[in-house]
Formats: sequence, C-alpha cells, structure tokens
Amino acid sequence: MTANMARSMISAEFLKLRRRRGIFWWSLVLTSGTMVAAFTTLVILHLNDPGHYGPAGGVKNFTGSMEALIGLGGVASIMIGASAGAGDLGAGVFRDMASSGRSRITLFLVRVPGALLLQLPLILGAFVLATVASIVLAGSDPVPSATLIAQYGGWVLAGTVLELILAIGLASVLGTRATTIGVLLAWELIGARLLQHFSFLGDVRKALNSTAIDSLKPDLLPMSVAAAIAVVVCWAIVALAAGAFRTRTIDA
Amino acid sequence: MNTSTPSRSDDLVVDIRGVTKRFGARTVLQDVDLRVPRGCAFGFLGPNGAGKTTLIRVLLGLVPASAGEMRLLGHPLPAERAAALARVGAIVEEPRFHPHLTGRENLVVAAAPRGAEAEGRIDAALARVGLADRARDRVGGYSMGMRQRLGIARCLLVDPELLILDEPMNGLDPAGILEMRGLIRSFVDEGRTVLLSSHLLDEVERTCDGVAIIDLGRIVTQGTLAETIGPQDNALLIGCDDLALATALLGSLPTVTAVAQSSDGTLRVSLTSGASAAGVNRALVERGIAVHRLEASRLSLEERFLELTSRLGAA
Repeated sequence: MTANMARSMISAEFLKLRRRRGIFWWSLVLTSGTMVAAFTTLVILHLNDPGHYGPAGGVKNFTGSMEALIGLGGVASIMIGASAGAGDLGAGVFRDMASSGRSRITLFLVRVPGALLLQLPLILGAFVLATVASIVLAGSDPVPSATLIAQYGGWVLAGTVLELILAIGLASVLGTRATTIGVLLAWELIGARLLQHFSFLGDVRKALNSTAIDSLKPDLLPMSVAAAIAVVVCWAIVALAAGAFRTRTIDA
Repeated sequence: MNTSTPSRSDDLVVDIRGVTKRFGARTVLQDVDLRVPRGCAFGFLGPNGAGKTTLIRVLLGLVPASAGEMRLLGHPLPAERAAALARVGAIVEEPRFHPHLTGRENLVVAAAPRGAEAEGRIDAALARVGLADRARDRVGGYSMGMRQRLGIARCLLVDPELLILDEPMNGLDPAGILEMRGLIRSFVDEGRTVLLSSHLLDEVERTCDGVAIIDLGRIVTQGTLAETIGPQDNALLIGCDDLALATALLGSLPTVTAVAQSSDGTLRVSLTSGASAAGVNRALVERGIAVHRLEASRLSLEERFLELTSRLGAA
C-alpha cells in the first residue's frame, strides 16, 4: 500500500466521522462547551461575590478543569471511537470495503488515525481554552506553570486517546456503536471504579486502565510512571489486537 | 450438465471447481463447479436459500471456502485475491452505504482503498448511472432505485472486467428495470462480463447470454441460454370459437402429431418438423373456424427452472 493510499483511507475515515453531525456537536459540547460553561460560571460567581468566590482562573481551577476534561473528553472519545470502530459494519459497508481486496488489518488500522483527526483537535481546543482562561482569569492567584500545563496536557491526552483506542477496538469486536458506548461508560463510571476500591484485589488493581491513568496525574503517583504507562500501553494493544483479529476473521 | 462453456482458463472470468462451503455442520455449497465465460452477461439463478449469495461471498473472499479451487480473472484464490479483486466490481445482496454521507462522499470512501485511479473515476461513474445531479444529496434520502444505481457507480470505480450484481433489479420500477437492463447490456458491449444473480427469470432470459442454475447448494445446469432451456418442439397454441371442430380437423391433418386442450380454453398443437403455422391457420379458416389466437409454444427459462429445481415439488 502506498503512502497516498494510506492518506486517502485515513481521510475517508475522517470524512465518515466528521459528517456525523450528532457525534461532532456532542463531542464539541462535552469538551470546549463544558470549559466555556465552567469558566463563565466561575467568572459570574467571582464578579457577584468576590469575597466568597476567588478568581475564575489560577492553578486550582486549572487542575479542576483538567479533571473535568479528562472525564467528559473521555466520553466524547468513546463516542468517536465507537463510531469509527463500528461505522462500516453498522452501515453494512464493510462487505464492500472487504471486497476491495485491501487487507482487513489495514481497513481496521486506518480507523485509529482517522478517529484521532477528529478527536485530537476537540481535546486540544478545550485544553487550550481552559489553559488560557486559567492564566488570563487568575487575578491575584498563582498561574499554572509551564511544567504543570505540560504534565496535565500529557495526562489528558493519554487518558482520552486510550478511551478512543479502547472504543475502536471494542466496537470492531461488537460491531455496534450503541452497545460499545454503553459497555465502556459502564466500565469507566462503575466497573473500574468499584474494582479500584476492592482492597482484597491488592496490586491487581494496578492493571486497571483507570488506575494507570489516575497514576499519571501530576502530584498523584500510587504507582510509578513507567508502570502506569506500561499498563496504559497494554490496554491499548489488547484493544487494537482484539479489534484487528475480529475485523480479519469476521464473515462479511 | 451442459458443457459448451469455454474450458480454457484464459476464456473464463470465473472458474470454480469443487467448491464446498460449510457453516458448522450445515453444508451450503456442495462440490460446486461454475465457469463464466468472458464478455457476456451470465445469469446465476436459484431459489431462495439455494446458495447463490454464499457462492458470491466465497468468490469475493468475504467468507472462506471449506474446500475447492477458484480462479477469478485468471488469478488463483485466495493466493492472489488482491490482484483479482482489483478489476472486480460487486454488489452483494443489496447496495449499502453510509446514509449520512452524500452519494459522492460514499464513492470517495469506496474509492479510498482502491487507489487514486478509482477516485478519478467518481464523476464519470456518477454520470454514467444518471446520478450526477443528485450526487451531493445524502444517501439516506435516496430511493431504492437510486441506491442500486449508486451501487453500480461504485462497481465502475475499478473499471471492472467483471461486475457481480446480486439481484440488481430488486426494488426497481418498470422503467428502472428497463434502464438497468440497458446498462447491463452496455457493459457487455464494452467487453465487460456481468455475473447477474437473480430470481427474476424473465429478466435473466431477456438480459443474459449464459446461465447457471443452483439448487440446494449444487449447480444443476450451466451453459448458454438456448442450451439450458433445451430443444424447442414445433408446437402452437391456438385459441378459436369452436374447439371441438378444430380438434377434429387438426387431428386429421398429416402435419399435426398431437392436439391437446388446456384448461384455459386453448389448444396445444404439436406439428411435424417443418410444418408451418400458416398451413394450420389456413386449414382452420377454410373450415369457417374463427381463430383469435395463434402463437408458437416456447419452453421458457421459467419452465426449465421449475423443472430443474426443488421448487417443482412445491409448485
């Protein structure tokens, strides 16, 4: 396969996602929309009662906005990833793609960069919005340092990209968007959180994707950064391998 | 089985030998041999569930065969699948698209894994099937006929040597069927081969040069249309005002070998070889019998189909 063909296939994946208006607008609302709403609320509260509510920016509100972004951006990433993974199967188009003669592994793998092309600008846009607001609206509070911004940026990126890859892999296995979104949200919001609190599981809990992502959060290191990264990478590899295997073997 | 189809691999676009497909314990295709000659419209017929679509899916590599050998455009499968499929356009079951994309965008998506040349053929393909004006509308709003035509346009992206069309007349109105028939014949005139799977026997008879009939996972006959239908006997269907007198008269003619009255009030008259309808008509009219119907009795593909397939028992 030539570089031009790879570029065309990735562009086609991006086109399919970009034209899903519901996914695009909801993802925008969950990322930049939430940041705008949060900082607007903080500004209004501060202006109405400066004695009780501090400036809308600063380090504290920056870290809070990052926690919101990794959560809601994760939901947006799941929606985008599920659409990328199950879009062709759901529309019945996979059969035509498979009969093009192109390798099914290739057909699967191009979904990842195609989805990233939609997801990353949304996450980065919200991140930049929150960072600028935290600096501009800091008032007398300390502004987040470049190091802190970079650390949180990496953390948000790792968390949301992992959600995207998990969704692509699972959706390629299940073949349905809605089920994938439901399963992953249930896992992230309930399953993984519950398991994290089961102390009898001991170190096994460090293998959870949510534990690993939490461990990458600046100033919170229940496990080493290397171990956390290894767990995150393992989850991504397992998701991609499962999706690729299913795409290669499914009857079209 | 008829065997007049070409036997050299070079003359065949599809050469399937001994293909079997099992889903678990169920055998869907059993030792199938199919040879489709180059440059013709070839009908692939069978009752529902006979194995038509499964054979097409096996041929396209969408499901693996359990046994047997296949060559597509001269390339052995699955070893040279990519090379074989590079010049094959196919619609399997029904043309499916992303409903949220426009017709043109769907073709962009379809062209992406098929290379830059395919992308360059999008506008010509849309024009060929008469969808250029609706190319920027979302496919979700297309009628079934428009989707069928968009499916054909998608096939044309690879400048196909072989088009595999599974029930392309489904959902089309009479004008659409006529248009599709013309389109298929135009492909053949350009030197392409069309493998047309259908249960519309009349359409296949009008459109195709060759035909294969599959039933219960086995090919029961294949060959040219004339070979498949079989020899036609020299017979007439006659409608007239006095059936009793006509029967007696026709029975006495030396050119008539048999006269039978059917339930719809017509006479089926078998003639000796070389006897003409005009002579029979003249004899009837000279005896004062008014003839209001006289036509050659032809064995149709439908009759042959029913005779060969399991539907005969159910009919």
